[in-house]
Amino acid sequence: MMSDVDRIIQSRSKLVSDLDISYKREEEGGCGVIGFASTKQVEGKHLLKSLIQMDNRGNGKGGGVAILGLNADQLGIDQEVLDRNFILQIAYLDDRVQNELEQKYIFSKFEVDAHYDFQNIEDFQSIGLEVKPPRVHLYFIHAKENLLESFAKELAFDGGIDRVEEEFVFQNSFGLNREFYASLGDKRAFVLSHAKNTLVFKLVGYGHHVIQYYKLADFKAHIWIGHHRYPTKGTVWHPGGAHPFVGMNEVLVHNGDFSNYHSVCEYLAQRNLYPLFLTDTEISVYLFDLYSRIYNYPTEYIIEALAPTTERDFYMLDKSKQVIYRDIQHNHLHGSPDGPWFFIIGRSIYQEQMIQLLGITDTSMLRPQVFAIQSGEHDIALIGSERQAIDAILLSLSKSDECYTSKADRYWNARGGSYTDGGAFIFSVSLKDKPTLVVQDKFGNEITAKISTNMNDWLTSVEKLNGTSYLKKLHRDGISLHEIINDLRSSPFQSSGDKISAINELTYLLDNSHLIASMKSGRSKHIIHEAIFEIFRSFPNIENTESIGILVDSSTIGNLRSPIGKQKYLILDVKEFDSEGINSAAMAIVQAYQTGWKQVYSFDWRGQRFCGSGLGPNSYGFRIDVYGNPGDYLGSGLDGAEIYVHTAAQDQVGQMMKTGRLVIYGDVGQAFLYGAKGGEIFVLGNTAGRPLINAVGKPKVVINGTCLDYLAESFMAGDPLNDGGFAVVLGLEFDHNGEIQNLNTPYPGGNLLSLGSGGAIYIYDPNRQVEDNQLHGGQISVLSNLDDKLISKYLKINYDLFSIPYEDKLSDFKKIEPKNSDTVLK
Amino acid sequence: MVSSKLIELKVSKHTHNISKTLVNLPMQKELSHPFGNARWTDELILSTYYQSSTGKNPSNGLNYKTGKSNGGFDRLQFKINQNTFKEDSNEDYDISLTLNGRGRIPDKKLSLPVYGGGMSLGSVSLNFILSRATAAKRLDTLTCTGEGGYPEELVPLKDYVITQLATGMFGVSEKTLQHTPMVEFKYAQGAKPGLGGHLLADKVTLEVSRLRESPVNTSLYSPFPFHSVYSVEDHKKHLDWVSTINPKALLSVKVATPKDVEMVAIGSYFAGANVVHLDGAFGGTGAAPEIAKKNIALPVEYAIPLVHKYFIEEGVRDNITLIASGGIRTAYDVAKAIALGADGCVIGTSEAVAVGCVHCGNCESGRGCQIGIATSDEELSKFIKVEWGAQRIVNMYTAWKQQWNDLLHHFGLNSIKELRGRKDLLVYKK
Repeated sequence: MMSDVDRIIQSRSKLVSDLDISYKREEEGGCGVIGFASTKQVEGKHLLKSLIQMDNRGNGKGGGVAILGLNADQLGIDQEVLDRNFILQIAYLDDRVQNELEQKYIFSKFEVDAHYDFQNIEDFQSIGLEVKPPRVHLYFIHAKENLLESFAKELAFDGGIDRVEEEFVFQNSFGLNREFYASLGDKRAFVLSHAKNTLVFKLVGYGHHVIQYYKLADFKAHIWIGHHRYPTKGTVWHPGGAHPFVGMNEVLVHNGDFSNYHSVCEYLAQRNLYPLFLTDTEISVYLFDLYSRIYNYPTEYIIEALAPTTERDFYMLDKSKQVIYRDIQHNHLHGSPDGPWFFIIGRSIYQEQMIQLLGITDTSMLRPQVFAIQSGEHDIALIGSERQAIDAILLSLSKSDECYTSKADRYWNARGGSYTDGGAFIFSVSLKDKPTLVVQDKFGNEITAKISTNMNDWLTSVEKLNGTSYLKKLHRDGISLHEIINDLRSSPFQSSGDKISAINELTYLLDNSHLIASMKSGRSKHIIHEAIFEIFRSFPNIENTESIGILVDSSTIGNLRSPIGKQKYLILDVKEFDSEGINSAAMAIVQAYQTGWKQVYSFDWRGQRFCGSGLGPNSYGFRIDVYGNPGDYLGSGLDGAEIYVHTAAQDQVGQMMKTGRLVIYGDVGQAFLYGAKGGEIFVLGNTAGRPLINAVGKPKVVINGTCLDYLAESFMAGDPLNDGGFAVVLGLEFDHNGEIQNLNTPYPGGNLLSLGSGGAIYIYDPNRQVEDNQLHGGQISVLSNLDDKLISKYLKINYDLFSIPYEDKLSDFKKIEPKNSDTVLK
Repeated sequence: MVSSKLIELKVSKHTHNISKTLVNLPMQKELSHPFGNARWTDELILSTYYQSSTGKNPSNGLNYKTGKSNGGFDRLQFKINQNTFKEDSNEDYDISLTLNGRGRIPDKKLSLPVYGGGMSLGSVSLNFILSRATAAKRLDTLTCTGEGGYPEELVPLKDYVITQLATGMFGVSEKTLQHTPMVEFKYAQGAKPGLGGHLLADKVTLEVSRLRESPVNTSLYSPFPFHSVYSVEDHKKHLDWVSTINPKALLSVKVATPKDVEMVAIGSYFAGANVVHLDGAFGGTGAAPEIAKKNIALPVEYAIPLVHKYFIEEGVRDNITLIASGGIRTAYDVAKAIALGADGCVIGTSEAVAVGCVHCGNCESGRGCQIGIATSDEELSKFIKVEWGAQRIVNMYTAWKQQWNDLLHHFGLNSIKELRGRKDLLVYKK
């Protein structure tokens, strides 16, 4: 007997009967992706700055935006019209086809409650576009009753009229795209989207151009997704290949590419689905739609089919889950895209008055991803390629609405295909009555931004400051943290030295915020950063030889010369510097070093890359302090200098590092210390995937959190007891009350020191969680006195930096070293 | 215990024998032992010995132009009119190669249409590396470190040495990246596409491990990808990074030849590469695994015209230098690669043959190389004297130069640049 699934699939056969699968696809590389979901409808302008800051992840040859959770007023329709209808959005590349297209695919098949051209600016060249974006026409449609009935009859489908209508719309759009777009024929018009409560726009340009061209800056919605594309080839003249792509009720943007495009195409072809736009993204959304709408899988199983749980993670699942997952994996082996990829998906679940935003990473976690949440009067949750892009949205929101702050309450990474979080997070916005936001992982565990009620514990930290401390002097009974910082901002500083002291006090609070409940919220961090930036910006310029600190920004960097008189600190306002190239912040720091400055306070980083690269060998005695959101490759190549990052760092930090010191008061992204040769490195938080891979020599590392997986793969760092390299992993986290907690396991991944031939991992494992099957070529050893002595030394420094007292817990450490390392080293 | 004096004597005797043999062998009428293989035939090896000993091309009938592989460059022939072709023409043509600065930095001109390929300390001996670099200096071209660090002895020659940044990043630091006129990013090697570099334990001596900062006597494997580069946008970021470390360096991107090689190449162009270096399947030392060597990826003679054509279509051909390598054995191979669309070539194995490589294929073992090329053994490493080796390499290129001049003369071209993309001058012999 045929199932509903078979009936739907079979009903498509005539649509595709004479289509060939084309394995040709448009080549594209990584991309910049960002998305957020908010309980309040917010304007598109808040996406703008974030996309501009991330434009080096695209190349201006494809930009797209998706919007879910729309505002009926703004669309000029009644709420009822919005609720009832699918929004068929046609991009007209050739105006002449509109009549023919409408007769054939719209008016003859659907009741059209409203339709009109969507707004756009007149002159596309005025915003720097080279190719005229398509004219977008909106049709609010539902299927004609008689046609729907006969389609239902033909289908002989039991699954309810809603699902029949969805398939009706889906097949209609497929036919439309085939006739008016089909990649090999003329490209005249195509369907941007047909989902309910959803709009999609794309053009040849960057993602932010979409907002400018279609005048979305003041357009409001609950969910926004932005995308920069990076197609490899040079000339692109139509936006059909740009993201997002639409399935039925979902839109998807994607960063990465598949190594098994061919196989996935075959898999879909067996289900009568063929790509018409020839991109990975298109087939990704078809897969999602297939699992979601045709197979009717719950979200957890959809994610499992896309990003299977593998290796040790699989065996860490409940037995009952293993059975189901095994079946899913067997059935969808060929429909499971091989990474690297990272998807952001917007989903309209109109039956439940809900919209969702999902972020899913592949099992190998090869693309950058970060998640964040902020709660308050309005809740917001965000997903992006870079933390700085997330913070750019929050900054923009905080400037127009005091309910938001420029820092999230919590940031985290997903562990792809894992038993811990499943590598995916789902933000659900319920639109019933007052909108609510729930954030869950693949398994349904809820993630919240808990805020402590203890709002005065910052006082204890201030007590520790010395007697001349500003904060101490300003303190009076009943004053809140926010008030005292405001007082500090407006205090009349006597000298530039006083300002530096004030900066150092605020930095002290920031650096200890993991242990201070009242400092943990995004709002507290926001206020401290604002104060620090403001004081930095009040320093005089380089002409003032009486000030110990002088301020330089991108417009005054040309005047930079050696310090004269009392000048000691270079304060670098990074905000307007380029991310890379000769006008980059990194080059400005090199210039400062070469002109004889010894210490640089750099602040308001907005994703600029390569901080600390290019100083050259033996840069001892040079120190960089970093505030804001530094970009990728920070400290990569460092050979002597010290960098203190008073915030989190992004991807590729400390690559090829040789000597010097790197201190990070937060998390670090992927491929941390790849190919490093030495240095002392301290990380307060977690490191994402593949830290210390291929490191040699003598890097000495303390990681207070944990790592996603693949720590110290191919580690070749000699004998740690004889000046070789090692990493100490403590597996800690800091709860909302500022208490130190052990993670469930200090190392959740299945690959620890794989294929290592030198060096060691010292791991704090009080509950004996780390086991042999996480090692591949390594062994667990007991610490000798020499080991104890070695790590005590580094735990002491770690304590001085982060106030984390673990020097006396040596009996709960395990040493992991390459098998037979004794014989090899001797 | 053998005394050091005795070792010295042994080395000097062996060195003398090698150098004598390399002079005499090409003159013998009959070879008593089988030698070489179908690609590197006995005649090609002997004629390279001859060129390297004399600076001239052999006139005793040895074929110094093609091998007998029945494929690739051995089937591609120039349309030469034998009646009018003149060997040893006296004219000097412009055979220089310009590495494109793309306006970001000045162009760099090399006096030959070739430069040296990467061979690391460890995979080959220090003396061979120094011979190559000394020759590069005399010839005003470049050679390359490979992935094994930067021996101090090479520093005086740094203006002629490319620093290679490969996936293991062994021995690379800001210092070695700042030394160099050009950084070569080794994304893949044609001899083993999909695999990283490897150096088996035998060859990881104390000196080798010191430069690489890895444990001694332990096999080293570089990962197959750069773990920081999984997309074309990561690729750009990677190049931007090295440009920050050394803004004056040219950036060369070395890739293998997958079937979508033109996409890889254009991606590198947009990422900011000055040189796209296509590495075909027939290069590499005998240490490259046989299974990878000849069975994966496109032959380079197919890849070159694909990329050349695509660059023209995209309107960027004059903004980038296209280099081919991987089995380029002779002056004629170089000329054919250029006629197919490359700007120049990278040479590795031929320079090894110049100093006496016999193609025995024992490159992966510690004491396998009886000539002292592909070894890190202290004793064997002494067989090649730097000055002797450098002169032989210079001689080989002097002979090659003559062949290029003859070809340009015959075709009425003014420079080797004019030969680029002249597929019409080639014929594929059935």
